[in-house]
Amino acid sequence: MPDYLETTVDKFIFKVATDRLYSAEGVWALAEGDRIRIGMTDFLQQLNGDVAFAEVKPAGTAVATGDELAVIETIKANVEVASPVGGSVVEVNPAMELSPEAINQDPYGEGWLAVIEAVDWPTDRAALLDPQAYFELMKGQAEEEAKKL
Amino acid sequence: MVVPCSGIGKTYGTVSREAAYEVTEDLRPGATGLVALSLLVLGDEDARAAVRAHPAVTIDGCKLACAAKMVQESGGQVAQGIAVLDVYRRNRELKPQGIAELNQGGQQLAHAVAAEITAIVDDLVSREEASDHA
Repeated sequence: MPDYLETTVDKFIFKVATDRLYSAEGVWALAEGDRIRIGMTDFLQQLNGDVAFAEVKPAGTAVATGDELAVIETIKANVEVASPVGGSVVEVNPAMELSPEAINQDPYGEGWLAVIEAVDWPTDRAALLDPQAYFELMKGQAEEEAKKL
Repeated sequence: MVVPCSGIGKTYGTVSREAAYEVTEDLRPGATGLVALSLLVLGDEDARAAVRAHPAVTIDGCKLACAAKMVQESGGQVAQGIAVLDVYRRNRELKPQGIAELNQGGQQLAHAVAAEITAIVDDLVSREEASDHA
């Protein structure tokens, strides 16, 4: 279980796991050697609501950094998840087929999307945000969203 | 009693209410009644009495499951709860859109939800009749 940074905005509590890196768009990347596990942040999943379907690019697909890795259909929107790392998809979470609600229930754990074998992880890593930097960015994003309520 | 989600301004809330109207007004008007979730939230005594006196079928638009929770908090029993999202997952071609007016997919999804509720209602009625005869 990772540790979390946590903030409350309006009535919502948002968590940021401290053991991984983040894109500004709310996608996390957890390095496991040259393999990078990818998922959606707690903020991104709460922002978009209950997941109906998750379509992740299948194993064997080559993705460049920023390419679409998955499309998540929720009760509010279709969310295109951009890969924060370039490489080849080597594993897709089987839960996405039958129980994509895992994204809502456990975004930093059971709700992971895919594992990518990175081509140039050092370069991709340098472009990502550390947990504290993403936490500050996310708080601003959450406060902006709260003003719309 | 049919208790739909009150998600005003939300597509899945509209689907749940349209399904509830279809069941209580068109499909099984004699065997069912409608309780507005907002009345349960406000603690309306008539609404609370209705869900205490009759088994409730709840229709929820999201995982918060406000309809099911409010029935339980009002002292009623949820005979069965339906989540619109689960029905959509079984009928992916029926993608709902719109709020005040549902698109065709949303209308058909409401019909699908209504059909599931009707089957539940028929089952509850037949069980009640069987116990009355016993």
